[in-house]
Amino acid sequence: MLEADFTVERRDFAVSVALRVAPGERLALFGPSGAGKTTVLETIAGLVHPRRGRVSLGGRLLATTEPARSVPTWRRRIGLLRHDPALFPHLSVAANLAYGAADRSSVAALASRLRIGELLAASPLALSAGQRRRVALARLLAAAPAALALDEPYDGLDEEAKRVVSEVILEAAAERQLPTLVAAHDLAEAQFVADRVAVIDRGQVLQVDEPAALVRAPATRRVAALVGYRSFAPLAGGGCFLAVHPDLVLLGHHPERGPTLIGELRSLRPSGARFELAVAVHGTAVTLRVDEPPAGNEIRFTPIAPPVYGEDGRLLASEAVPS
Amino acid sequence: MRSPAEAALGAPARRERLDHLQATAGALAAIVVWVVLVGPILTLLGELSPAAIGRALSAPGALTPLVVSLESGALTLAVLVGLGTPLAFLLARGRLPFARVLETGVLALLLLPPLVIGLLLVFMLGPATPAGHALARVHLSATNTFLALVVAQVYESAPYYVLGAQAAFRAADRRLEEQAALLGDPPWRVLARVTLPLAAPGLAAALAFAWARAMGAFGAVVIVAYHPFGLPLQIWTTLQETGLASALPFALVLLVVALPLPIAAYAYSARARGRLHR
Repeated sequence: MLEADFTVERRDFAVSVALRVAPGERLALFGPSGAGKTTVLETIAGLVHPRRGRVSLGGRLLATTEPARSVPTWRRRIGLLRHDPALFPHLSVAANLAYGAADRSSVAALASRLRIGELLAASPLALSAGQRRRVALARLLAAAPAALALDEPYDGLDEEAKRVVSEVILEAAAERQLPTLVAAHDLAEAQFVADRVAVIDRGQVLQVDEPAALVRAPATRRVAALVGYRSFAPLAGGGCFLAVHPDLVLLGHHPERGPTLIGELRSLRPSGARFELAVAVHGTAVTLRVDEPPAGNEIRFTPIAPPVYGEDGRLLASEAVPS
Repeated sequence: MRSPAEAALGAPARRERLDHLQATAGALAAIVVWVVLVGPILTLLGELSPAAIGRALSAPGALTPLVVSLESGALTLAVLVGLGTPLAFLLARGRLPFARVLETGVLALLLLPPLVIGLLLVFMLGPATPAGHALARVHLSATNTFLALVVAQVYESAPYYVLGAQAAFRAADRRLEEQAALLGDPPWRVLARVTLPLAAPGLAAALAFAWARAMGAFGAVVIVAYHPFGLPLQIWTTLQETGLASALPFALVLLVVALPLPIAAYAYSARARGRLHR
C-alpha cells in the first residue's frame, strides 16, 4: 500500500493531497497542466520535500514531518518516469537500460516488448521523443521498483506505442503487485490505464472515482468542466445549471434519457468522424457532437442524464427534470 | 530600360557574388589575426637552425631542466586533480558557505601577477615563517627546492584548473544525477557513473590549461625556486649568460614537451562534447 498525505508549498499555491494506492492498483492523477500532478509524484519519490505530512510504502515510512525524517531518493525504490526521460547521453541505450537493473536477463525481453530492441547499440541522442520515453520506461521497470509513479507516460507516443506501453504498465503493476500512480492531463489517457481517477486542480484533489462514474456524476461544476462538460445552461427559476457534455447527447426528444432542450443552430463543423454543433439555448452556447448533421435550424436534443449544479458549484442531481 | 522584375531576377547572382566575397574577406582577416597572434611562435621556428638546436641540446646537463619540468609538472597536476577537483565540485554545487567569497578568492589568485604570488609565497612559506618551521621539522623546505618549484607551479596554475573544473561540473545536468538516484544509486555512485563522465570533457580542457600554465610558470618560480630549475628558468639563465640565440632552442623544447598533453586533452574534450551534445 502506498500512502501519501502531505502538503507541499509551491510558489503559486500549496499542493495538498491524501491518497492511498493498494498493491497492484492503478490510480490516475488527472488534471490540467500546472495542477500539481508532477509535484505529487516527485514528493513521493523524494525529490521534493513536504511541509507537512507523511509518505509510506508497504508500511515503510519514506517521509514524515513530525519529526522531520526523509528516506533519500536512492533508497526509496519509487519508479518515477519523469516528463523529461533523462537518458544518460554518455551511455548507449543498452547501458541505459542496464543502469539500475537488478536482473539484466529481463532487460532484452522488456526492450523487445517496447519495440526498442533494435536500438540497443544506439546513442540516446539519436532517438525520437517517443523512443526515448519507452527507453526510460523500460529502464525504470528493469530497476525493480517497489511502486510506479508515471508522469504523462503516453506523451509523444503514437496510438500503437500507447497500446504497447499501456500493456506493459498494466502487466508490471499486476504481476509485481505495484501500487501505480499515473499523471495525465488527458482524461482518455487517464481512463486508459487507471482503476480509479483522482481529479486534481490547483493542488487540491477534487474527486476520486471510477473512470466511468467520474464522467457520469462529477461532484462539482469545476470537475465537470475538467472532465469535458463544455456548456452549463441556466435552468428556469435560476440558481441552477444543467451541464451538457458534447458526447453525451441524443438528437431529438428522448424523455426516458433526459430533459429535452431546444436551441438554434449557430455553426456546424466536422470533428473526426462526427460533427460538432454550436447551438444557442436561451442565450447560452451549447456544444454537441453528433453522428449526422441535423436538418433545419431548430435543434431539439436530449442531454443524457445530465448533472445539475447549484450556484455554489455543488452537484444537486445527476438527472434533471425537463424545464 | 529594365523592369523591376528583371532587376529582381538579376539580383540573386550579384547577391551571391557579394556573399562569396564577404566570406572570403572574413576568412582572410581571421587568418591575418591568427598569424599576428602566433607571430612569436612562427618567429621562433624561423630563427632556429637544426645546428643551433643540436649544439644547445647536446651540451652536458642540457636536458636536466626538461626532466625537472616534466616531473614537477606531473606532480603539480596530481595535486590539482586531487585537491582542486573536490573544491571545484563543491563550488559548482553551491554546497559551500559563502561560495561567492570563495570563488572571488580563486579569481584574485588569477588576477595577481605571478611575481607577486612568488613574493607572497616567501612571506607565507619562507624559512622564517611558522609554515617554514613546520616544514623544517620534517626536513623539508619551500625555498629553492623541488618542493618549492611544485608549490610555485601549483599556485600559478590552480585558478585555471579550479575555475575550469567548476564550469565543467556546473554544466553537468542535475536532472541526470537525480535520475541516477531514482534508479537506486547512492551519491558516490552517481558521482562516479554520471557526474564525472559528464564533466570529463570540461575537466580535460581545464587540465590542459593548467598543464600549459604549470610548464610555463616563471614569475612565482623565479622568486621561490631558482633552483632546481625547470625549462622557463633555463631559458632565462641561458639568456642572461650566453645571449638570445642560445636561449631559443630551449623555448622550442618547452613547446614540444608541453604541447602534446593539452592538444590530446583538447581533442578528447571536443570529441566527447560532440558525443554528449549531438
